Amino acid sequence: MREGDRKRGGGAPRRKGRVLVVLRSMWHRADGAYALVVIALWLLVSLVSAVWTPHPLIESDGRNAWARPSASYPLGTDGAGHDLLSWLMRGSLTELEVVALVVLCTAACGLLGVWASIGYKSGAGRGSRTWMVCVDTLIAVPTVIVAMVVSVPLGASIAVIVVACAFAYSLSIVRVTRPVAQLAATSQYVEAARSYGVGEARIFFTHIVPAVAPTMAVQLSLSAGTAILAESGLTYLGIGIPAGVPSWGRSLSDCAKLITVYPLTVIWPGVIITAVVVALNLLGDALRDCADPVVNADLRRTMEGGSR
Amino acid sequence: MRFVLKRIVAFAVALFVQSIVIFACLRILPGDLAMVIGGTTSTPDQVARIRGQLGLNDPYPLQYLRWLGGVLHGDLGTSQLTGVSVASEIGDRLQITLPLALLSLAVALAIGLPLGVHAVTSRSARVRRTLQVAAIVAGAIPALWGGLLLVMMFGRGVGLIGVLPAQGFPARGWHAFGRALASLALPALSVGVITGAEFMRYTRSALVDVANSDCIAQAMMCGMTRAQAIRRVGLRMVAPQIVSVAGLTFAGMMTGVIVVENLFALPGLATLVMTDLRNRDLLAVQSELLLLTTFFLVMGLVVDVLHHALDPRLKDASEGGGYA
Repeated sequence: MREGDRKRGGGAPRRKGRVLVVLRSMWHRADGAYALVVIALWLLVSLVSAVWTPHPLIESDGRNAWARPSASYPLGTDGAGHDLLSWLMRGSLTELEVVALVVLCTAACGLLGVWASIGYKSGAGRGSRTWMVCVDTLIAVPTVIVAMVVSVPLGASIAVIVVACAFAYSLSIVRVTRPVAQLAATSQYVEAARSYGVGEARIFFTHIVPAVAPTMAVQLSLSAGTAILAESGLTYLGIGIPAGVPSWGRSLSDCAKLITVYPLTVIWPGVIITAVVVALNLLGDALRDCADPVVNADLRRTMEGGSR
Repeated sequence: MRFVLKRIVAFAVALFVQSIVIFACLRILPGDLAMVIGGTTSTPDQVARIRGQLGLNDPYPLQYLRWLGGVLHGDLGTSQLTGVSVASEIGDRLQITLPLALLSLAVALAIGLPLGVHAVTSRSARVRRTLQVAAIVAGAIPALWGGLLLVMMFGRGVGLIGVLPAQGFPARGWHAFGRALASLALPALSVGVITGAEFMRYTRSALVDVANSDCIAQAMMCGMTRAQAIRRVGLRMVAPQIVSVAGLTFAGMMTGVIVVENLFALPGLATLVMTDLRNRDLLAVQSELLLLTTFFLVMGLVVDVLHHALDPRLKDASEGGGYA
């Protein structure tokens, strides 16, 4: 709430300075540095793969099928003669798309859910309590089942992953952030703002969203990691990324078929997925500590320096 | 006691709502069983006739009541495609999924609890750090990959130490007890290690939270070492939370193990739902989903009641408290 007031009073430049401070203090922690490096590499590789891959993706040369790892094919090729390295590189772009969509949808649905959970005029009325019962019931529906049902009309597509993940994660966000949101909604800032005649929507965005933002950022970064794991699972089951589209889950599923031919090839997609998921999880932890002015003295100094 | 009653009422309401949601969601889906039975060569007339025979033309409320009535009498219905009763089909699949989930849970607890405690009590900072990193990394492994790695190590025919079967379940089921158990070993290990890493992280962070509390200080004043205090007092304090997490994780495993089941060619419960859904055998799917949901809700109920039984602090809170 205090933050919300400042943000309105402050301007873009100071907020930018704050982001830099947060990034710098993350860089000074081992886990934060690892997360930043891996995520930067991931972004770099996906950008490069959009314009260049060592071998064209659809190059399928019958003579090169099942090729051993060599100088020209560092990770070997699959049964159709596709270069596995190129597919993994382009896969990172697809993965980025999946993660971005899941995070965006989860954030949007999560905010809607939070809004419903604090109730109209911030009173925890019957409506918001019923909604929380619904959340508790719906949260029991497993992601795989949602994905299966959604995949019937949509077929295997990114949309299946996004819908299933956003459904599950936004519900858990509502549950986790509800106490914070409730506290903010009943604060005197909100009461004061309402007495000035500030609208409900504006109160929500200036007072409640900033209050739940730190908790939400951590949850979103965790859900980004889980989305990648879900992608690999759902793609293996044939209801995720469709065949012929490169993704890490697709490479992993293809390698599962290769296991009797070149067992060592299986290692790569798994290592990449694990490394990135670890990075996303650590990002959440580091973000929680570094973006919190109470814990991070540097950030506090910047904020106080700015408000003088 | 009032708390338990309240929870049971909430449970019944939730179950009823779920049954409507399941029924409605499945009716929105395009395509139907008549087309699957008729096949690609059937004429619209034939499809319409099959649809009439199956009762698919009846109004939805009537279909819903017929299904619900059957379920309330303990009849989950008969698959309209295969003619096998849904209950026996589910029973067959549970023979694999339930032991697999139980074994995985046992592995996860056996790994997660001791290591989680050790990650707090160990005197060496390096050990604590290593355990923490190990938990984070192991928790980020995709289940499919974990399974593949285990196959590469222990799978018969492909692995370095090929001792365990990597495919299928014995045809005689649990009558061939040893072989059945062996075929579940690798899948249970791969699910268990990944889940165990989560338990370990959870145990560690819960213990860290209570490690600085007055209770631990009190125990140390009575003469325990810090490690003893954490093991005897701290673990008891976090037990309710750990039971909750274990219970809900177990419930999640009933469908969560589907990837590993597929990898090891085990026909499990979630695979059954997927096949029936693909065939639009909606009567079977809705009974299966209702059963799964019931299981989740029952687990939630059990966990809540256990949580209350284990944590006396909650007793006071629930006397006057509402749902929230």
